[in-house]
Amino acid sequence: MNHINSEHHLDLTKEEEKGYTTLNLGPTHPATHGIFQNILKMDGEIIIDAEQTVGYIHRAFEKIAERRPYYQITTLTDRLNYCSSPINNIGWHLAVEKLLGVETNKRVDYMRIIVMELSRIADHLVCNSVIGVDSGALTGFVYVFQEREKIYEIFEEICGARLTTNLGCVGGFDRDFSPTAIKKIRDFMKNLPKEIQQFENLLMRNRIFMDRTINVGGISADRALNYGFTGPCLRAAGVDYDVRVMEPYSSYSDFDFIVPIGQNGDTYDRFCVRQTEIWESIKLINNALENLPEGKFNMEVPDFYFPPKQEVYSKMEPLISHFKMVMGEINVPKKEIYSAVEGGNGELGFYVVADGGRTPYRVHFRRPSFIYYQAYTEMIKGSMLSDAIITMSSMNVIAGELDA
Amino acid sequence: MAYTAILDKLTNEFEKEILSVDENSDIVTLIVSSESIKEVITFLKEKLDFIFLTDLCGIHYPELEKELGVIYHLHNLVENKRIRLKTFVTKANPQVDSIVPIFSAANWMERETFDFYGIDFVGHPNLKRILNVEYMDYHPLRKEYPLEDGTRTDKDDSYFGR
Repeated sequence: MNHINSEHHLDLTKEEEKGYTTLNLGPTHPATHGIFQNILKMDGEIIIDAEQTVGYIHRAFEKIAERRPYYQITTLTDRLNYCSSPINNIGWHLAVEKLLGVETNKRVDYMRIIVMELSRIADHLVCNSVIGVDSGALTGFVYVFQEREKIYEIFEEICGARLTTNLGCVGGFDRDFSPTAIKKIRDFMKNLPKEIQQFENLLMRNRIFMDRTINVGGISADRALNYGFTGPCLRAAGVDYDVRVMEPYSSYSDFDFIVPIGQNGDTYDRFCVRQTEIWESIKLINNALENLPEGKFNMEVPDFYFPPKQEVYSKMEPLISHFKMVMGEINVPKKEIYSAVEGGNGELGFYVVADGGRTPYRVHFRRPSFIYYQAYTEMIKGSMLSDAIITMSSMNVIAGELDA
Repeated sequence: MAYTAILDKLTNEFEKEILSVDENSDIVTLIVSSESIKEVITFLKEKLDFIFLTDLCGIHYPELEKELGVIYHLHNLVENKRIRLKTFVTKANPQVDSIVPIFSAANWMERETFDFYGIDFVGHPNLKRILNVEYMDYHPLRKEYPLEDGTRTDKDDSYFGR
């Protein structure tokens, strides 16, 4: 056998090139949890290079939005990050409110915080339990999916839908939280810490899990910022940027909560950051529920508040205004705005250019996972195939958000 | 640093390149000539701490002489200040310098903008379509492409206020 020293080895790259395998990971692969294609160049089990193909579920939302009245765009935002639709819905409503110059009262804000934090919990639970699945631990996934189910039941009680919620409207909510909804949230919050603790006991200090995730798919703070990372992935790298703190919307400034950060930006840090955020969300929901003020649940924004159905069916004026709103015959100020909320994956931004007509002139969704997924190649280069799988699930790339 | 100080520094450095300043918008908005957008962004990043590229997207105004626009949102995370830059190019010569050397995040955002508006980012390492199919031969978010089939005769848009 010929002895090859390391320098000599490098010279042989050309020869080795022929020995590389091209591996098609996806587009439909059970381990990628969505329609993603990665064309990997492999040297045995080591990844040399990767190229992502995105756009498999591109639905041209930005083009469709240019023809829709503002209130109808909420249904498009459902389908961005469908693991936490209510955050997207409320993010859009906040953007339109900024455009119209509407101030909401504390009750609306607190109700929104409750809903948004519930969906953040659902989002993080899915992501973290799937990291467990991809490292071979299915148990935790099955445990927390029951909790996610309960969150969806709460959404069902609040707005009637579960996954694509189309929740609330510009100016607040379509209806107040019913006593059943309040009771469901309280029951859920009473039970949740125990379940989360159980889930953490399974994974957080589990030797196998730690070996599989520590120093896997890491990224430095500097590179993460350069790549436009936001949300848990950026915070895992050690940058404490959170839109809820930096530019508080919906009265987040009334509450005390910790923005957790990691150190290495690896899969384990991302897991821990999300896990800590769940605890913070629990605190936020409990606080908001305790201090839920009395008041209106809808700001009755002219041209965006649908009159009560009873009046629509019996009186002329409500019928006319209802019809005008449904057809979208309303005008908005000529303005351009950028409004951002902290979504499940980071800064979810809405850039809206309004020309004064019934539809926006241009809408751009800043989708966090679309922006940070491009760092994937850099994060998995030189690691094993199984690490690539676990890195992707820890980045929580959601196909709907990626492709818009 | 207040916005006035930021704007002073910028206008001192780029007297001719900055075509207009709008301080009344929700975010301070500058219109910059397309030849110098890269220098302005480099200056903002290196001298004024705008280290984060929040967003990059295109826009189309068919009635303007320079129809196509690129809009950049930068964020100074240290002082929590945002700034919006715009640059406009003609449809015949849609060349804008790529800012991928400055922000890696711009890579896919510029590909998306190229895909939808056909803006040619000069110096981009891999400028090809990202969300649409590769054999598509037009840029669908331009205003000349209506959302619905223009040949339909059974629907009168005027009834719907369009």
